[in-house]
Amino acid sequence: MKRASLTRLALAASLLSGAFAATVARAAANDATPPTRLFAAAAFTKAQKNSSIPTDAGTFVRGDDGEWHSFGPKIQQVSSATVAPTDSSLIFLACGNGVMRSRDGGATWRQVTGWEISDVIVVAVDPTDADRVYAASAWGIWRSTDGGESWVASRDGMDRNDMFTRTFIVDPRKPSRLLAGTAGGLYQSTNYGESWKRIEAVPAVNILRLRHGVADPAVWLLGTEGEGVWLSTDDGESWQTTAPGLATANVYGVAVDPSNSDHLAAGGWQTGVHLSTDRGATWHVADQGLPSRNLLAFAFDPAHGGRLWASTFEEGTVFSDDGGKTWQDGGLYGALVNDLGFLPLPVSP
Amino acid sequence: MKFQPSIVILTGLLSGLTFTYASPATPATDPAPSHAALSLDYEARRQAVLAAARERIDASNPDAGGLHQVALSFADGENLDWARHRLAALMAEPTGAMFWMYPTVLVMKAGAAHLNEEDWSHLREAWRTYFPYRGDTENHWLMYYSSLYLAAETWPDLGPEGWYNGKSSAENRAEAKAYILEWMRITTSYGQGEYDSPNYIDPYLSPLALLAGWVHDADLRHRAEMMMTYIIADYAAEQINGNYGGAFSRIYPKHAMQPALGASSGYGWLLFGLGDMIPQSGVELLALSGYRPPPILHAIATDRSKPYEHFELKRTRWRMRHAGPEAIEIDGLLTQPVYKYSYVTADHILGSTSGGLLQPIQQRTWSLVWREEHPLGRANTFFALHPFHSPVEGTMYFAADADVVTDLIARSKVDYNSPDKLVGGSPYEEIAQSRDALIGLYDIPPGTDFPYITTFFSRDAVDRVEDPSGWIFARGGPTYIAYRPLAPGDWKPANWTGLLKGGAGAWIASGYNEWGAGHDTYVSEHLKNGYVVQVAAVDAYPDYAAFQNAVKALSLDYSLDPVPHVAFTALDGTRLEATYGKPARINGRERSTANWPLFGGPFLNAARESRSLLLTHGAENLQLDFNANRATSFVKPSAPLAP
Repeated sequence: MKRASLTRLALAASLLSGAFAATVARAAANDATPPTRLFAAAAFTKAQKNSSIPTDAGTFVRGDDGEWHSFGPKIQQVSSATVAPTDSSLIFLACGNGVMRSRDGGATWRQVTGWEISDVIVVAVDPTDADRVYAASAWGIWRSTDGGESWVASRDGMDRNDMFTRTFIVDPRKPSRLLAGTAGGLYQSTNYGESWKRIEAVPAVNILRLRHGVADPAVWLLGTEGEGVWLSTDDGESWQTTAPGLATANVYGVAVDPSNSDHLAAGGWQTGVHLSTDRGATWHVADQGLPSRNLLAFAFDPAHGGRLWASTFEEGTVFSDDGGKTWQDGGLYGALVNDLGFLPLPVSP
Repeated sequence: MKFQPSIVILTGLLSGLTFTYASPATPATDPAPSHAALSLDYEARRQAVLAAARERIDASNPDAGGLHQVALSFADGENLDWARHRLAALMAEPTGAMFWMYPTVLVMKAGAAHLNEEDWSHLREAWRTYFPYRGDTENHWLMYYSSLYLAAETWPDLGPEGWYNGKSSAENRAEAKAYILEWMRITTSYGQGEYDSPNYIDPYLSPLALLAGWVHDADLRHRAEMMMTYIIADYAAEQINGNYGGAFSRIYPKHAMQPALGASSGYGWLLFGLGDMIPQSGVELLALSGYRPPPILHAIATDRSKPYEHFELKRTRWRMRHAGPEAIEIDGLLTQPVYKYSYVTADHILGSTSGGLLQPIQQRTWSLVWREEHPLGRANTFFALHPFHSPVEGTMYFAADADVVTDLIARSKVDYNSPDKLVGGSPYEEIAQSRDALIGLYDIPPGTDFPYITTFFSRDAVDRVEDPSGWIFARGGPTYIAYRPLAPGDWKPANWTGLLKGGAGAWIASGYNEWGAGHDTYVSEHLKNGYVVQVAAVDAYPDYAAFQNAVKALSLDYSLDPVPHVAFTALDGTRLEATYGKPARINGRERSTANWPLFGGPFLNAARESRSLLLTHGAENLQLDFNANRATSFVKPSAPLAP
């Protein structure tokens, strides 16, 4: 697989959507770059009876045929996948065992972490320098400056109780700026993870999902454990609570439509899907026809304007093309979806 | 018990572990088995274990038989057609992660002499293609890395393409050894994370036995041998006729109700001839490995001539969230010290930790286990708990989200959120103990899911008497039990929901009628609650009534508001005072944890962060020094450490 490269200018236009690089394909014009596809990092737990082992697990890519295809190594615990913005053949999986890396579009894989790094939840790659890689884990954040060959802990300035990091983003416009959603709130680094400082405007609780806008990169949206949804429209200068119907909810999924940053989605445990079309000024609940009101992850489809994908806990992944009025079956019944997003991934390498 | 009055150098089948025994200063007056006799006895039991394992192999059934049985067949050179067929089948669709890895390595090592090219091809392909999950706890990681090391040592020159994880054999060996050594360093410095588990002693001893038996790396082999002895010594000092007693990090319901079913009891029979022989795959693995226990272990395991207090410092598993104010940081990871205390007599063990959430899911905060000559089939235990469950506990130790973690835990530990659960810790529980007396206090917040405490009275706690004084008396084998609830309760069958009786939990619940039927629980639905426990040897009293009268005459003052408080004078005259939320006082003094040793008692002593354990029996000593990777036997009386 040939490597696609991006200029800084192209990157600024692409404005990667958080750790999941949802808009990589837009900028990666190389013919060898796979089309952007919906992926899920999931474990099939619903049929798991009298066992601690899911019946299936790993990374799954939705093919053009609408079917989900296993991608990469079959690993029991995969939390998310990432494609390097500057190189679509460079793929990382965030796994219980550590970080898996492929340099050939998924044909071969190597675990690039040792025993010290486990329970990795997010891997993020600098949008301008593929050697600069971050691994956010249940035990803290690690960073690499050699493409994952070696890692050092990145915890200076963080409280020792806040190491659990469930969501992580490299700011695509300012790659030195990192945002980490930890068990103790939202932290920011402005020096590639050399040091961190907690953002006091956001509650010091477990941050469950952080996303930001592509069309308007000043929009940031995050879901919390017990403190609802928080929104920034000035690139993190200030934060306000939003989605009042979710004010005390555990909000596992949030999303910003890459084509229109006024369109927001949020939801969590026993909440249904909450949608806004005016940048958080008003919200409405769209849970008619949902297979479950327990939501774990959302993704707006960059190739189908307005299509929103939503993953429920074990009751399947669904999508809506009409602003949540109706929902259609998208598969993955029985799965606990850790992450859902769009990446330029092949269907079956 | 004394040792042989001569210098003996015993080198077992294991490399490097040499025990040197010098002559004692005084001649032996209490004849004890000679080392040679111990060795012969051990060998006989070893052969019996393997013979029993062979008998369970059904070579006529091509669809049944696991990797342990395949390994034994290859080791023996027997049933080879069946073993080859089973190996091919088990390698074609591997499952179980590290629970697949370590018995697969056992096949590769114990059965190497009879594996043919096709067998090796199946093995090789499985290691290339099957990606085992590393797991989420230390027993998983030790199994994973021990197996990976041995597999990578088997094929030392393979490149990254030869392994599931894309690392070369050399890289896998380096990573695996680094982890194993780190686990040993942490354990011998700060205490084991999954401490003293009657069940999970097995997934520690099995990988260590693999390393001790077959690894080529001499340094690692010797350390593994010493670590086996370390773990076995930990067990030997706190068991009664093979049954682990006191407080545990993890235990399943069936093993909690019938201690002999725990894997540790199987090891007790093989290693020391204690209790009953119980088929256990881990015990069979150890028997195959060639490990031989140093004689001092036998002395420690069997000498109950004098009652003793035994202290241990352990730690919780690493905490990723909600570590709490008592957490300490070790190399960037958070854990909480666990202060463990046991009182061991010829008849029973009463042991405890301080209470609180010290382990996920399966904690046993305190228990009494009494001696049974043949413990298999007996429910020789007594304990109490607040049946707590919480996503806070789950998310301390697992990366799953708060709303799903309890559900996911209960997929395999089905009793975790069942109201009649009999294992688990509670943040609202505080325990104080001095020798044969124990106080439990509870202050359960309103709204807590299960607002009661449960006390387990097994079917073998016989002659139960509910005295008008408020004391409840029972007799467990050679031990009298007195239990004084501080608030009234009701009797219920132990499995009142029928969850386990109905078979939920699969292997956890298998054979329910054997171990689960006929037990009672005393359930007290009061948020501010507690009890006093006093046990004693039956032999210490002329009859049951005399024991009851002696207990009823003891000084007992208690109150439940504003917080539970007890002041109790035990049968031995010790004054125990406990107030919920405050340190307990024993004879007017707080038992400080500041100087709590890693091990302290007549048999085992180790200072914190010492990486060295001294085993003592009489004048006989064995020093396991992990700093120098040296095991040294010597004769020298030593004073035990105690807090």
